[in-house]
Amino acid sequence: MKQASLSKDKIKAVAIRYGFLTLLAGLVLFFSLSAPGFATPFSAVFIFQSVAITGILALGVTATLVVDGFDLSIGSIATSSLMLSAYIMVVLEQNAVVAVIACLAMGAIVGLVNGVLIVYMRVPDLLATLGMMFLLIGLQRIPTEGRSIAQGMTLPGGETATGVFSKSFLALGRHKFDFFIENFIPFSVIIFVVIAVLIWLYFEFTRYGRVMYAIGSNERAAGLAGVPVHKYKIIAYMISGVLASVGGILLAARLGRGDIASGNNLLLDSVAAALIGFAVLGAAKPNAFGTAIGALFVGILLQGMTMMNAPYYTQDFVKGAVLVVALVFTFSLSNRR
Amino acid sequence: MGKVNSSIKLTGLEKSFGSNRVLRGIDLDIPAGEVTILMGANGAGKSTLVKVMCGVHKADSGTIYLAGEEFNPQTPAEAIKAGIVTVHQNINDGVVPDLDVASNLMLDVLANPHSSVFLLPSKIRKSAKQAAERLGLDLDMRAPVHSLSLADKQLVAITRAMAHEPNLLILDEPTSSLSLSETQRLFELLDRLKARGVAILYISHRMSDIKRMADRIVSMRDGEVSGVFEGDDLDYIGAVNAMLGRKIADVDIQIPEVGAPVLELENIQLLPSSKPFSLAAHKNEIIVITGLVGVGKSLLASVLFGREALFKGEISLNGQKYNPKNITDAINEGVFLCAKDRGTNGIIPEFNISHNISLPFLSTLSKFGFIGRGAERGFAKTAIKDLGIICQGEDDNIEELSGGNQQKVMVARWLMKSSKLLILDEPFQGVDIAARRDIGNKLRETAKDRATIVFVTELDEALEIADRIFVMSEHGVVGEHRNMNADADLILAQVLGDQVMDKRMNKNIGISEGAAL
Amino acid sequence: MKITRRIFTSMVAGVVLAATGIIGSVSAADMPAPFDKPSEVKIALVRYLSTGDFFQAYLAGVESQAKILGVDLRILDSRQDAALQADMVDQAIALGVDGIIVQHGLTESMQEAVKRAIAAGIKVVAFDVDVENPDVPQIEQSDFMLAKMALDQAIIDNGTTFNAGYVYVPGIAPLDRRDVAWKEVKDANPGIKQLAEFGTLDNPIANSVANQARSVLAANPTITVMFAPYDEFAKGVKIAVDEAGMTSQVKIYSADVSTSDISAMREEGSAWAATAATNPAVVGEVSVRVLAMLLAGEDPGHNVVVPPTLITQTMLNDGDIKNMKELSAKIPAFAHADVAVPAWMPLPKR
Repeated sequence: MKQASLSKDKIKAVAIRYGFLTLLAGLVLFFSLSAPGFATPFSAVFIFQSVAITGILALGVTATLVVDGFDLSIGSIATSSLMLSAYIMVVLEQNAVVAVIACLAMGAIVGLVNGVLIVYMRVPDLLATLGMMFLLIGLQRIPTEGRSIAQGMTLPGGETATGVFSKSFLALGRHKFDFFIENFIPFSVIIFVVIAVLIWLYFEFTRYGRVMYAIGSNERAAGLAGVPVHKYKIIAYMISGVLASVGGILLAARLGRGDIASGNNLLLDSVAAALIGFAVLGAAKPNAFGTAIGALFVGILLQGMTMMNAPYYTQDFVKGAVLVVALVFTFSLSNRR
Repeated sequence: MGKVNSSIKLTGLEKSFGSNRVLRGIDLDIPAGEVTILMGANGAGKSTLVKVMCGVHKADSGTIYLAGEEFNPQTPAEAIKAGIVTVHQNINDGVVPDLDVASNLMLDVLANPHSSVFLLPSKIRKSAKQAAERLGLDLDMRAPVHSLSLADKQLVAITRAMAHEPNLLILDEPTSSLSLSETQRLFELLDRLKARGVAILYISHRMSDIKRMADRIVSMRDGEVSGVFEGDDLDYIGAVNAMLGRKIADVDIQIPEVGAPVLELENIQLLPSSKPFSLAAHKNEIIVITGLVGVGKSLLASVLFGREALFKGEISLNGQKYNPKNITDAINEGVFLCAKDRGTNGIIPEFNISHNISLPFLSTLSKFGFIGRGAERGFAKTAIKDLGIICQGEDDNIEELSGGNQQKVMVARWLMKSSKLLILDEPFQGVDIAARRDIGNKLRETAKDRATIVFVTELDEALEIADRIFVMSEHGVVGEHRNMNADADLILAQVLGDQVMDKRMNKNIGISEGAAL
Repeated sequence: MKITRRIFTSMVAGVVLAATGIIGSVSAADMPAPFDKPSEVKIALVRYLSTGDFFQAYLAGVESQAKILGVDLRILDSRQDAALQADMVDQAIALGVDGIIVQHGLTESMQEAVKRAIAAGIKVVAFDVDVENPDVPQIEQSDFMLAKMALDQAIIDNGTTFNAGYVYVPGIAPLDRRDVAWKEVKDANPGIKQLAEFGTLDNPIANSVANQARSVLAANPTITVMFAPYDEFAKGVKIAVDEAGMTSQVKIYSADVSTSDISAMREEGSAWAATAATNPAVVGEVSVRVLAMLLAGEDPGHNVVVPPTLITQTMLNDGDIKNMKELSAKIPAFAHADVAVPAWMPLPKR
């Protein structure tokens, strides 16, 4: 009887560790068999491309989750970055480098403000970033009086904008590199993978990442161990802000114009990816690898279901179901909080 | 109220967590109307046993009999309904910090679906006050519980538990944060419950409590009952031996030659109202500072660790002026503090042993920010061996360890790098005697090149480890003793000062009677 | 049925035109009362929706027509607050306006408010909100005709036998009306096969639709026509077609137009072949003109439909049209609708 319960525990441990990856493999197999065209290298690359933007945002969500925070403003940071890059190129007639730098700086500054509000003004994280979200949704509309930004648009003053989206900027979202197959890997996928690897290295192998996990687990104890808690919390929000602005840049490069949008769907999708990441390898905590897998999981599901002609509302339903299953994996099966 | 028949009998109780067999067949009687003391080193399985009895964990095998009938609680609610009431060591499990005292005391009434929908605060306060008065407690019913001292919180939790009219009352180290008078009140209360026929299971390490309350003593070791002691003349030494599995000799302090002074406090004043004092700590010396809670021990520790500013006076470290602005400053100067209350101030619950140890000194382990994992493991392995930390390996999660082993990890953390001054604040809180010895030996072994200051409340702990003992009272030093045939009675008198009868005593959390041992 | 309504409207317009034509050339003095003293005429625009390119352009149209008429225009903007919009009608009544244009809103909240205005002797017209009142002319752009026009072009370009992908989100009123046209065309042409239907309103919409369209194109590589009857959808489909390297194979037909749509359609070898659109500025102008006719005691008819214009890639390239301004300037049908144009009516300059 003891033997039985022992092996039961072992099975449970294996289930927690590999359950979600198995589910993912099963899903891939299912779609490969039932959706023609799913199991091709192009389809694989496309799944990466479709999740690149939410994936990058989700890595930012991971950073704030690690320090036991939360950033609701990432969606609006991304769309603000989308508008800002368009504004800089189309209206101010600057080049791609200026646009990218300005967006990254904007993300960093918004993250800094979020961090300062939370750490020094003691505003609870959800409220501070909620406020920032509304602020940015409004702010991105002010320069154009609520219009979307496109090449040749009519400005509020009546004159026509003469700036253009620079070719090199658009390449961030559209260029494809050769990799065995010509024009195979999109730039945005490379950016996503590079950022995912960097964030993974940061949180798993550097002392900065380690210290941030310590803050998330027991802030007081971390402070008494000499960790500058405030500084690291602010850094977490800055990572989140900068990554969200990178997402916005890629969005602008893909769309080729500045669209007015709240970015709430981006926020929800990326939070879902980060939370699904808890279940990967039984980590039961925010982690970069899990987040990337979580984003891919959602991408594979949506790709497969769209290929099978499932209507959009069933996709939302399935997304929700996956999230719930992942959270059950994390919190119930692994006996964690 | 008539006597309740409430004897409890456990037979063959087993419980494993994974491959870890925590309870290996426990047979235990807890007779009605008696206090059964449960002793056991940390990790012996006491807490698990309690959790099985109160329905938190389910036993793998074995049976519990309540008043002769088989009883296997599936949930805590079931256990409470059957009259098994537990006051846990972790006080925050027993109170709702954001509610006021009255609501906390009446929580079970409030949570009862049959009670009235509308709450009359005055009525709640009235019945809460009655419940408190039955235990002779005088608490401000309107005060939010989070503003109370630890001791008051504990009294609230116990008072609440009493409302259930328990058959079996389980108390897990209830006096660890109570003052003398509060402890006395608790004991009187337990006497009354005993007379009423309630079975009491009392877990404690404190000899004075045990001597005062014990009708029977049960010792546990490695998940088994290792000794049962009954009768008029209880064999305390035998009980301790059964618990530890070895005889603890009286510690023989050999006061070593001290080196150069490291820390010098010159006429420092902690508060505008307190008396100035001076103190010097030397290399190869272990100083213990003792005193009641709230006499400035924690403030002094905070000042030395850069968390609070000194009101007046001068501190020097190795002859240099020492005035740390923050914790980072202090650590960079070589002053380390192993904080008290490891649960809130020390352990990182999601980290394993080696990550917990390395936290303050990651920068020395890292190259370009990347942590040298081999070196990190090496430190942890050494610490596990040196301090005898009981675990599977350095990758064990800290929360899987018993209290004493967790504390060893905390000490190991601050021994990882050599320091000029090592401060330990209440390092023996919730630590069994064996682990206490291990920690004490390790401190002594490594003390050669630094000064060591240990803050403790319990005098027997002080006598066990100190070279010199300083007694604090009213934010000043009132006595200094070389720990060689030190006059324990004099120390105790100084600790208690002239304020023994002061009405403020109720608010101060006291030194234990353990001092008289 | 819609067609007949349109015919009816143009008949009305024609009759009015003919009737007023007799009066002769237009000058302030020749204008019917009360427009002989236009500065004493006060009208109010009560808005429900206002943010976005479409509504900006609509407002511009209202303003320019009001200006050329010389009337006093007040703008009341409720910013998607239905209750506030109803209050604003009462506010306009209190201001003593002569006419009110209700722009969007909810039938439930506006019906009573409009009744109160009419009871106060104020003329009311409504754009894109059914106030269910026989005295209130309903101005609308025909979503059915938008879709039909684009699909007619698709059949001209691709014949009546092709594999199609369709972007649609049910439950959105204008998209539902456009869907009617798609169903009709499909039923009439059995050679048109719909291989996939998809769509989402997750924002940014173009990005989300692009992701979906990529999957659809991978699953159905034989699709040659994409019908995306909303320009955000079309934009997303175009991104997907380009990314999938199917630009030369697939043609996109859509509805609505904007400056960025124009540049997307005009990209080298763009897959976006044609779109049908109603100029929101023209709709704004028509709204004011219909109200003016009412004030002058003329009957504009109960349903006033502003007809859409077909815009093809070729038209844009031939005219070297880069933005909405140039579109208005170079395609007269887009710049002006012959709706509600009695002879005395001054028209904004082109």
